[in-house]
Amino acid sequence: MEINTTPTAKYEYAIELRHVTKQFRIRHQGSLKRAILGAFKPKRIELFTALQDVSFAIPHGQTVAVIGKNGSGKSTLLALLARIYRANSGEVILQNHQGDRPQIAPLLELGAGFHLDLTGLENIQFYGALLGMTQQSLESKLDSIIEFSELKDKVDTPLRNWNDGAKLRLGFSIAVHTDLDILLVDEVLAVGDESFRNKCSLKIKEMQNSGKTIVFITHELTAAERIASRIIWLSQGAIRMDGDTASVLEAYRQASREGTI
Amino acid sequence: MLSELKELWRFRELLRQMLARELKIRYKNSFFGFLWSIVPPLLQVVVYTFLVRGVFSATAKNYSAYALCGLIPWTFFQTAILDSCQSLLANYGVIRKIYLPREIIPLSYVLSNMIHFVLGWVVYFAVFAVILRFFGLGIPLLPSMLWLPVIILVESLLVTGLSLWMSALNVFYEDVKFLLSTLFSLMFFCLPILYPADVVYYSEMIQRHPWLYKLYLFNPISGIITAFRKTILEPESPGSFVVRLQGKPALPMDWGMFAATSLISVMVAIAGYSYFNYKKWQFVERP
Repeated sequence: MEINTTPTAKYEYAIELRHVTKQFRIRHQGSLKRAILGAFKPKRIELFTALQDVSFAIPHGQTVAVIGKNGSGKSTLLALLARIYRANSGEVILQNHQGDRPQIAPLLELGAGFHLDLTGLENIQFYGALLGMTQQSLESKLDSIIEFSELKDKVDTPLRNWNDGAKLRLGFSIAVHTDLDILLVDEVLAVGDESFRNKCSLKIKEMQNSGKTIVFITHELTAAERIASRIIWLSQGAIRMDGDTASVLEAYRQASREGTI
Repeated sequence: MLSELKELWRFRELLRQMLARELKIRYKNSFFGFLWSIVPPLLQVVVYTFLVRGVFSATAKNYSAYALCGLIPWTFFQTAILDSCQSLLANYGVIRKIYLPREIIPLSYVLSNMIHFVLGWVVYFAVFAVILRFFGLGIPLLPSMLWLPVIILVESLLVTGLSLWMSALNVFYEDVKFLLSTLFSLMFFCLPILYPADVVYYSEMIQRHPWLYKLYLFNPISGIITAFRKTILEPESPGSFVVRLQGKPALPMDWGMFAATSLISVMVAIAGYSYFNYKKWQFVERP
């Protein structure tokens, strides 16, 4: 994709990647013994390249699905956007409409960030702060967070006694109530029962309409078809195809039939 | 480092929440709750008093005030570092998924221990400088006690630096935690915690090589504990701890030494934070 760098387009993109490469050092089981012994051996560093020279730009308000088979670099890409990793080379530029640092909310896998000994309410407090919410905005949204998660009767009990579905619902509910600019979703859209799933879809629609940028990883092509307007197809750490949903899906299905993904 | 501190300031609300959570869950499922912060050190003091007075026949009056003056700073030093050491791995799920200045995690453990540390001094002064004085026991108020906040600050800097340093190391080498707890249990007897540094000063070897004493107090935590003692308590002859030293005068507070201790603590804080920042992006890249 062509990167537009004219000055008028300064804040046009929510996400911009310029020639991003991410490599991991393959470290073997770390222990002090090995480190001390290793000090006398010549260093042999094994590198694994997860992403190789990836460039693309996502304008504000776009919903992008990232597809590709396991190990193609999808999760690494999402972690770079969430600023969990730093790229080895290239640039990752994230901006809100004003050109400031955007509020990014990652939707987490079950349980990360929750403490089982604390009640639902206490966890909302903490999790909200973790996702960058201020005390005031948390207080003003508390009721709607609880209402959306349908957990009114449970919020005063410790999470230890909750089932997995309830925890997921709470996590999703907090994340979508943050004042986010960019939502990152890693395969967790299938939350809870049918009716809650529908509610999530509606909420996502609502966020799309209000101009939020959404990037999500999925293996379910139908989900991509339904929600995304653009698909980035990763293969072995590089972009294999990047375009509108229909054409990328067609090519992907074609490749899938031919066994050349 | 300045930009890192700025980023930390931006996330101060999260640090506050983490600290609140840490204080909340510490005694969440225990019946006696906060008492677990107060009672064990008191029992420790009872045992040490028995040991030092009964077994080693020291005659120091108010030995419990003396011992606690070493135990309170030592407990802070030891528990804060050990707590923060395992903190990053305990919260690995969070740092692997959400961006936050990662130093917030060990810092929240340091701060929660710091609160207990300051509360420890409050209880100390309430008991020894107020309540027990009604019974003719306790300790007299001294002008030098005004130095207390300064020494608390110096120890906090030292502990923060070491905690950041060790917590970062422990992500890569989990031996660090075991090494430290072994080291601490040995240091407890080598450092002037249950006895004053003066006793070591009058030992034969140090009388022959006085520079060794400087080396002994060069270790900042010994310097800090000694500074607490010398400013809070009246001079006590080492003779009242070891019979052989009867008649020897107590050493005065060595301000030059304390200046060196403070300088070392500041340097440790800077070095610890720098090392943490240098390593923090690699934490999640463990295979």
